[in-house]
Amino acid sequence: MKAVMSSSTTPLRVGLIGAGGISHAHVPGWLEIGADVSVYSLAGAEGLAAQYGLTAVDSLDQLWDRVEVVDIVTPTATHHELALEAIRRGKHVICEKPLALSAAEAVEIEHAAAIAGVRLFPAHVVRYFPQFAGARAAIASGRIGRPGVFRFRRQSAAPAASWFFDEAISGGIVMDQMIHDLDQAEWLAGPVGRVFARLRRSDAGPSPVVTAQVVLDHESGAISHVHGAWGNSALPFSYSFDLAGDRGVLRYDSARDDGVRLAIGIQSSGGYLPVDDGSPSPYTAELIDFVHAIRDGGEARVSPADGIRAVRIAEAAMRSIESGLPVDMDAGGQPSDALPTLIGAQR
Amino acid sequence: MSTVDRPLRIGVLSFAHPHIEAYAHALRAHDVEVFGTDVGSFDAGTVRGRELAERMGVEYLDDVDAVLDRRPDAVIVTAENAQHAELALRAIEAGAHVLCEKPLTTSIDSAVGLVAAAEEAGVRLMTAYPVRFAPSFRALVQTARRGDLGEIVAITGTNNGRIPLGDRSWFTDADRAGGGALVDHVVHCADLIDELLGEPAADVFATANRVLHADRGVQVETGGVVSISYPSGVIATIDCSWSQPDNADTWGGLTLEVHGTEGSMRIDPFADHVGGFDADGGVWSPFGVDLDQLLIDEFLAAVRESRDPRPDGRVGVRTLAIVDAAQRSLAVQAPVALNPAAV
Repeated sequence: MKAVMSSSTTPLRVGLIGAGGISHAHVPGWLEIGADVSVYSLAGAEGLAAQYGLTAVDSLDQLWDRVEVVDIVTPTATHHELALEAIRRGKHVICEKPLALSAAEAVEIEHAAAIAGVRLFPAHVVRYFPQFAGARAAIASGRIGRPGVFRFRRQSAAPAASWFFDEAISGGIVMDQMIHDLDQAEWLAGPVGRVFARLRRSDAGPSPVVTAQVVLDHESGAISHVHGAWGNSALPFSYSFDLAGDRGVLRYDSARDDGVRLAIGIQSSGGYLPVDDGSPSPYTAELIDFVHAIRDGGEARVSPADGIRAVRIAEAAMRSIESGLPVDMDAGGQPSDALPTLIGAQR
Repeated sequence: MSTVDRPLRIGVLSFAHPHIEAYAHALRAHDVEVFGTDVGSFDAGTVRGRELAERMGVEYLDDVDAVLDRRPDAVIVTAENAQHAELALRAIEAGAHVLCEKPLTTSIDSAVGLVAAAEEAGVRLMTAYPVRFAPSFRALVQTARRGDLGEIVAITGTNNGRIPLGDRSWFTDADRAGGGALVDHVVHCADLIDELLGEPAADVFATANRVLHADRGVQVETGGVVSISYPSGVIATIDCSWSQPDNADTWGGLTLEVHGTEGSMRIDPFADHVGGFDADGGVWSPFGVDLDQLLIDEFLAAVRESRDPRPDGRVGVRTLAIVDAAQRSLAVQAPVALNPAAV
């Protein structure tokens, strides 16, 4: 992507809400874009501001006065209220995934943004990972033919912040972590029709461990299965996919990625975010895409509908976990650009 | 318990499953006399019957009666799946120990009947699950039993391979194979999980499709995922799809990933290989122990020592019960409990 600021000499005024783990993935992107960043957080705003040269503010009211775009990087349960407030103030909203804890709340945010005439971007950063973008391009060009059986895996040590484990705050592993691959499943294999899921949590070890397995039947006839684990403290972050179509297979496993080898004396195991391997940050690519969309009024790679849809699938998975039965997706809220359409058009 | 010191007489019933070539090779390491007959209808242009017997160094006899009349100590059944039950039963009735290719049979009733018949006749029944002998799987079992993984919570298994078309079309014939990819590829992972957890499954949900190879006239499922819960609370999935492309460097593979409260371990028993390129494309030269050899070694040792082989016939029933439940789950579109007769 080209430098985003070429069309303007005025720095974009961005309000970052939240100063936790993921803020460190967003801030370098904003700095690269050349944004003027103010940060508000219940905790850690001063430290984050000092580390990156941002401006810390003491209240949301101070923030609203200073910014045109807000970037919400708080725990999920707060997204709904903060996004609605920002929209009421006429700010464009970038919101970490999941867009909200429920599809109903996510829809409410989307409607509010539409009425207010501001832009809304659910930050599904995995769409900006070159591994996944590359897979989508290959599928769209017909390299593997019709999607058959797709497999996704994402795992790491359990996040240190305990709110991730609190379903009332994060939505749990399905809503918080696996939503990445639920979104990918639909981005790569088209609309999901049915969801079956199982989840297992254990507190028997030194720290809680939770895993879930989600089986998706797509409307096209394709099957996806998605595996998420917040595992033991030594489990490195990794993700993988295996995408089998009727003409070929696409595979990637970050645990087998050999592009960078590092041997240092620092304990580097665990952690729930990717290790920096020097390649361009997908978080930066995502923010640049959103800013472009704001500036030129065009579409970003991820739409509000996509964000709502991902929450819907995660909700269906959680209902399935609860009931022990498969759950049919309701027809409402189709994804914005289903691939089988593209493939169908080409074949 | 007596041990047999003379050369063992091994009968082979059917060469329908290509594994017989590996077993015949493995038998050469032993002091055995091997004879057999081929059963089933052959695909045009394939090497079967007497010709294949000669190639394998197996004495060829005219029919099943001729094989059993030679009073074999043990019989290897490598028939089409739907013929396992009948042929294994005849061997048992002839007083022979039986190594039966997986899946044990194509119905729970016949599998349970086979185990009962073997016990009644005082012969040993083994199900051919060679992956169980993989050093990486032994390491996984030891690691888990040492407690290093803590309490096991979840398992992800994959067993993907090329579609067995070509010279063995019965694999994709529902009547002769009992089904498609679910029948062919669920049981290996199910066996490993059975050994690891030491408990039979509780309930099974399955989904399957026929997207892969749809243009080749295949009438059975070619892709599928099975989700299993175990009484201890462990959750597991098995991807059994025939998703390895025909032009891949190797036949496919199997992986098992285990997450526990204190550790995680993933094994990929068929990953070891020397790779590269030659004039025809990719090279995949596997190395490591010969799992079929270890399987045959165990079977013959059990026969000689008059003890139960591992894996035995009962695990053949328990793993078949997962396939059976998966097929019933497909029919009712919901999770189903395991057939209680199987556990």
